[in-house]
Amino acid sequence: MDKSVAAFTPVVENSKDWQRISPIALLFFTERLIKFFASNLVAFLPALYFGYDGLKENPQLGLAIIVGILLFICLTTFLNYYFFQYRLTQDHIEIRSGVLSKKYINLPFSKIQNVKLEQPIYYRPFNYTCLQLDTAGSAKQEAQIVALKVDFAEQLKKEILAQHSITHHAENPDDSAELTPDAVENEIILNTRSITDLVIHGITNNRIWIFLGGLAPFFDNIASYIVSTFSDFGINIEQLLTFSDKPMWQITLYAVTLTFLILLPFIFFSIAGAVITFYHYTLSKVGDRYIRRSGLLTKYEVSMRLSRLQMVIRQQDWLDLLLKRINLKFEQANNVLTQHQAGAQNNRIIVPSIFAHQCAALVDDVYPNNQMMTIAYQRISKRFLLRNLVFILLPLYSLVAVFFTVTGKTQLLWGITPLAIFAALLIFMRWYRWGYASDDNYIYIRRGFFGVDYLCFEHYKVQQVKFKQSWFQQRHQLCSISVVLAAGAINLPFIKADKGSAMLDEVLYQVESSGKSWM
Amino acid sequence: MFLSKADFAVHYTKITGNKIKGFNHMQGTAFTNTSLTAESLPSLVELEFQPISAIYRQSNLIINVAFTLFLVTLLFVIQQQNIWPLSNDVADLFNWLMLVLFMLGGFNTLYAAFADKQKFYALRQQDLSYRSGLLFRKTVSQPMLRIQHVELKRGPIDRKVGLAKLQVFSAGGAMHTFEIPGLPLASAESIRQFILDHKDVNRHG
Repeated sequence: MDKSVAAFTPVVENSKDWQRISPIALLFFTERLIKFFASNLVAFLPALYFGYDGLKENPQLGLAIIVGILLFICLTTFLNYYFFQYRLTQDHIEIRSGVLSKKYINLPFSKIQNVKLEQPIYYRPFNYTCLQLDTAGSAKQEAQIVALKVDFAEQLKKEILAQHSITHHAENPDDSAELTPDAVENEIILNTRSITDLVIHGITNNRIWIFLGGLAPFFDNIASYIVSTFSDFGINIEQLLTFSDKPMWQITLYAVTLTFLILLPFIFFSIAGAVITFYHYTLSKVGDRYIRRSGLLTKYEVSMRLSRLQMVIRQQDWLDLLLKRINLKFEQANNVLTQHQAGAQNNRIIVPSIFAHQCAALVDDVYPNNQMMTIAYQRISKRFLLRNLVFILLPLYSLVAVFFTVTGKTQLLWGITPLAIFAALLIFMRWYRWGYASDDNYIYIRRGFFGVDYLCFEHYKVQQVKFKQSWFQQRHQLCSISVVLAAGAINLPFIKADKGSAMLDEVLYQVESSGKSWM
Repeated sequence: MFLSKADFAVHYTKITGNKIKGFNHMQGTAFTNTSLTAESLPSLVELEFQPISAIYRQSNLIINVAFTLFLVTLLFVIQQQNIWPLSNDVADLFNWLMLVLFMLGGFNTLYAAFADKQKFYALRQQDLSYRSGLLFRKTVSQPMLRIQHVELKRGPIDRKVGLAKLQVFSAGGAMHTFEIPGLPLASAESIRQFILDHKDVNRHG
């Protein structure tokens, strides 16, 4: 272990003084500022609205304002860049930043849990990257060095991770067998995804939100633009949608066509979203660390120590079932991470649209001897159906039906009856899918509606358990249980009370007797 | 006050009159469940629950009644005063408002009075459980090993009647923080100390 420290020290000694990052970071700060403006656009809208008339009369003023804004952006960007400094001292990283409110961070390498490299598109020609450091604790302590040469960042990353594994071993001397510096160097690629895979992923999984999020402020304009475009072609949408004077088949045809018309761009955007997020996808493994790299515009890198894995989710929507594809998710503790990044998506490792054998290989890799697909799942009680269909859906439907009949709007019954039948089908599928099983090491949960998800986690990762029983359930010796992991809570309703409590007892026993850490 | 676990068990028993279930008073820190078969695992079904303080129930009842009466009286005063007379319509509306408030408050008071009787906690050597709920009974069990930190919270009323709330935080997130209300201050403090002294909390926290 001493050797590894010696091998890495040169880089550390290179930078004893406070250093400025490369001027390329100006681009990064500009982008951040523009993003800030964009996300606060709503706040500026009134000013724009009221200023608009004034501007029309006085164009020079508008020019002045634009020049002013540009100057402001330049100045802020430059100051941000000027005040951003970092220093590497022995096993510590220090970062000073901020123009008006100063920020100083001092992070010992050993406290760093996760190192991420993010490469926005404008960094790529110059070979720069943005280094992000996550600590186990709160989101506040998270730090990033905005612009580093890729080689240097990689080197620094290795150094930090090596440091981390050393201290880790010092604390737990018993499991130091595997991680030699060689293991740190060797990266094994576990999976890559082709464009075809990503297109399939885009079709089966709606990634439309990536676009909707950005487009949200313009919805109204887009809608009115679409309507006016159609009327330019002589199609009056409002007239089309007036149903009363048209035969049923025509309305149906409209509905189907309209659905396709709306769906088509959605699917297209969804595919684009998948490609943007997962372009050049690789999942690789270095020692006990799994690394996901992907991205078309901004290259993301997410890494996770195996010990930080909380749960594996094997996800198949109904379309995935038809196409025989699977999305596999490695869940980390998310309650801390969701706070500081809007795309919480980026913090879990997801393997998009893989085949069953690839999925099985990956799951076996993280959870040896698991029986996710072979174990017999126990279904939840049929009383789940009784409760939801007879005691919730039926009264609700009857009430609405009676209301419509009394008020004489019987044609609306045609609307709600299919809806109720669909809801009943959903409830049935929910029951049909929901199952559980466990063996010595893992708990398995199966759930879904038309698609099906398999969840698998180790007993000792559990944070808290809940045993719930209504008066109705108690009479039939049923219960609902809930198992809280750092990645979220998992519910299991309507199972046999003795089975439920036995499962929780087993979980508590394993958590308490193993003494293993959940991180 | 730093007690060893064995000292604590004695201390806790002295203060509250309860025994810590599963605690081996002879051996102290050794985990006592090592070689059990599945049938004889320590079970949640056999938890020996302790009721929370009766003072909590009473003070809660008084607060609920007082709050309801206060709101209704406030409305009544506003309705009857002559400084800014209300129009007839609004005054009528106030009658309804008072009725609704009275009924809601009454229902809430009644519910709380019965629900508070169903609040229990159980402390074992390795975990802390809290049971609550009138129609939907819920038992939350929190292993000591997974506790991030504990807090004692005491509002003005708690301080007046000598009670405390114990809040237990885990890495499961804010949604799953649980709180045991109505503990006598001495037992709340000793439970907290028991959790802090749990050697594994110190190691992982």
